[in-house]
Amino acid sequence: MKRRTFVLSGMALGGALVVGWGAMPPRDRVGRRGPLTSTDNEVRLNGWIRVAADGRVLLAMNRSEMGQGVHTALPMLVAEQLDIGLDRIQLEQAGAQSLYGNVAMFLGALPFHPDDREPGHETRPVRAGRWFVAKLARELGINVTGGSSSIADAWEVLPLAAATARAELLGAAALQWRLPVDELRIVNGIIEHESGVRGHFGEFARQAAALTVSARNIHVKPREAWQLIGRQPLRTDVPAKVNGTAVFGMDVKPEGLLYAVVRHCPMLGGSAARVDVDATLRRPGVERVVRLGRTAGATSGVAVVARSTWHALQAARTMDVVWRPPPHDPAVGLLDTQRIDEALAQTAREAQDSAGGVPFHRRGDVDAAEAAAARRHEAVYHAPYLAHATMEPMNCTAQARDGRVTVWAPTQAPTFAREVAARVAGVDVDAVDLHITLLGGGFGRRLDVDYVAQAVRIAMETGGRPVQLVWPREEDFTHDFYRPAGVAVMRAALDKRGRPQALRMTVAGDAITPRWIARNRPAWATRFDAPDKTAAEGFFDLPYAVPHQRIAQQATRSGVPIGYWRAVGHSHHAFFTECFIDELAHEAGQDPVAFRLSLLDKHPRFATVLKLAADKAQWGRPLAPGRARGVALHESFGSIVAEVMEVSLDNGRPRVHRVVCAIDCGTVVHPGIVAQQMEGGVIFGLSAALYGRVDIRNGEVVQKNFHEAPMLSLAETPVIETHIVPSTLPPGGVGEPATPPAAPALVNALFALTGQRIRRLPLLLPDHVARQAG
Amino acid sequence: MQLQINGQTRDVPDDATDPSMPLLWVLRDVLQLTGTKFGCGIAACGACTVRVDGQAVRSCVTPLSSVQGRSIQTVEGLAGDKTPHPLQAARVAHQVPQCGYCQSGMLMAAAALLDTTPEPTDAQIDAAITNLCRCGTYPRVRAAIKTAAAQLKPTRPLRGPLRVKST
Repeated sequence: MKRRTFVLSGMALGGALVVGWGAMPPRDRVGRRGPLTSTDNEVRLNGWIRVAADGRVLLAMNRSEMGQGVHTALPMLVAEQLDIGLDRIQLEQAGAQSLYGNVAMFLGALPFHPDDREPGHETRPVRAGRWFVAKLARELGINVTGGSSSIADAWEVLPLAAATARAELLGAAALQWRLPVDELRIVNGIIEHESGVRGHFGEFARQAAALTVSARNIHVKPREAWQLIGRQPLRTDVPAKVNGTAVFGMDVKPEGLLYAVVRHCPMLGGSAARVDVDATLRRPGVERVVRLGRTAGATSGVAVVARSTWHALQAARTMDVVWRPPPHDPAVGLLDTQRIDEALAQTAREAQDSAGGVPFHRRGDVDAAEAAAARRHEAVYHAPYLAHATMEPMNCTAQARDGRVTVWAPTQAPTFAREVAARVAGVDVDAVDLHITLLGGGFGRRLDVDYVAQAVRIAMETGGRPVQLVWPREEDFTHDFYRPAGVAVMRAALDKRGRPQALRMTVAGDAITPRWIARNRPAWATRFDAPDKTAAEGFFDLPYAVPHQRIAQQATRSGVPIGYWRAVGHSHHAFFTECFIDELAHEAGQDPVAFRLSLLDKHPRFATVLKLAADKAQWGRPLAPGRARGVALHESFGSIVAEVMEVSLDNGRPRVHRVVCAIDCGTVVHPGIVAQQMEGGVIFGLSAALYGRVDIRNGEVVQKNFHEAPMLSLAETPVIETHIVPSTLPPGGVGEPATPPAAPALVNALFALTGQRIRRLPLLLPDHVARQAG
Repeated sequence: MQLQINGQTRDVPDDATDPSMPLLWVLRDVLQLTGTKFGCGIAACGACTVRVDGQAVRSCVTPLSSVQGRSIQTVEGLAGDKTPHPLQAARVAHQVPQCGYCQSGMLMAAAALLDTTPEPTDAQIDAAITNLCRCGTYPRVRAAIKTAAAQLKPTRPLRGPLRVKST
């Protein structure tokens, strides 16, 4: 399939839904006639900004705060244009309108190769594809926080909305004072003139709302004049997060609240055959037992409603249930991750040998190059299923009363949360009031809304009383939407000097997006899946100059519930590709940094990031005995990250001492938040590389709580440094890009230390698994 | 039943609880003190850490019957009347929290550590702070504990400025 055809087939997904194509001019995301309303005390200037009577600015916040700092960085974009202090900007949750949908995340789903999308030199198909998808995404208006896209998505619209508001406020003040508008200025949220007149925004808001300022009089403040962007104001969410007042999902306590706890069928996809309801109802504090179906991708289960979470937990744990396994072929048995891994390896091998799968990247003539090669190098890599394990377990609070549904949810996907609540309650989506709380971690888990569906289902049974559903940690680990497992077969053809002339690589694994769409927008589900870029990202889009390439993805359907996990496809594909490149460096007898640089002539941004990390890590300088360094370089979500790790072995256990990160994420809004995300991304990646695995036997997930699924601890955490490449390009993402290079940098360092090449994660077996394995 | 929480006597209605109910759920569901978090239910993650008679305990496995008559402190009681606890101030200065869910437990574990070990070494911090954080705030947690320790000893000079550094 030609790439263009392929891109368009990916977009066909929502093509039929494009109604009123011209209804929204391309640039009109400011929402002049937008959904915010004016009240006695608050005047709407556009779809994003209202002005309070006391001069504060109210910003419609369309992204969820899950630790990544959007509640600080997005208002910074507005504060910059309005010259007002961050503390004078108050956030209010954006509504359900399409204005607040995410466009940048959809743009990130386009499968373009770095050769075709070098900033400023994008090819025509890239520009056309982006234009089309931006238009489509704007029409769809799906609001999700994901894909490290929040800043990129807001980058044009929020400054424009704020600059428009500024022009209107200044215009109103000029009219009132009868002064030339260009003699007015704004200092710290106060409009003033050298004659001494001054006033805050609230004094001019009503007149400003009545003004129409022409586009040529709206001036978005240029980069040279920035005073806030690029600096490090204190995060606005931190004070409440250190004194216990921050409100996460479980901290919502509406009047008359009941508590519910779910127990799912332990076998993924199974259900409850029989529940001893009467005995459960006799347990202390228990009010109701509610059976839960498979809505939004959940495994069926049973919920116990009680007067406290504890009473519900106790009753749910001891409840007598006979579980029914999901329909399955007895000759094959229930889900089993070892069997899936073997099947993936076979599938990848067969696709590789038969030129099968979807070729996400093709260039040159791989067959001829392989025939002419001096030798070949091949490797097979394996990655396990992974759980998200957000610190805040899944939970949702819901109330169904008088034909309306109120939902309080820590969610990354408000559009789907509203839709599923409406579906379950049998009401129109407009009858759903959604309140988004802070998220105690998201990492992609909260892009799914299974727990919202369950909470609403339970709330239908409580006679109008609100109910708070909480998943025990065991349910969270055993009923996640897991990062899919994957197996890659990679082969390089080398010339006499060991330089790679051809790459033939195939990865096999389940594609997330078709499954996610099917469970969240059932109307869009199709029998045949469109190719999913997330199943190949970080695998087909390598920056290295290898003249002949065929890089393919073979989609499988393993039956395990899978979802987006921090960095998605990049999370394991960087492990595959950056370790394989390291192998090729070794085959060529070259230093890993020098080898990569020799293949990066056409991609100076990559080379700069790699050199910065190597330089700051003192690459090549001698280390203490027993220590070694490893490097990895990877682009994801519009940002390029290099990591150099310094490791040793402590009684055979890898110990990471120091991690040096370099990142080019385009223009930086808040460097402190970038550093936080680099640190967090590295630690998340190290947890997975060292310990992360989800094993399924007889259809049941083995790892049920943190004692069986270790995470990196403070004691194991290395020193982490972040170095940012200065840039004036539009911003890329920062929430995810530090995670992918962590595993390969660690594994490459261990190779440098031991000479042993590790091609399967995780590195360490938890004690209980090691014991079982004897 | 009555409990001593954050220097106050709080009534806990007997019909809302039973003696085996973990302190966590008494705090959260009965007394509406939601700063203390539920993470795992098996004392593995530390999100529910509170102090009982000064010691850090994991309230998800601490039965109500075991804390009667003892002094309980939660994150809501960590600050002074007007001023934040130095550990809270240091968390702001070092910009520690990301999602913030683990921070209450982290703070209470650190407060207990500094009471017994005013100048903790890295090894002592490693041993005392076994709370899990999935956002990866650990390097800043360590730095903030050291800053708070320095501030709690006013006779000694501060160990460096309160700059946000990524190490």
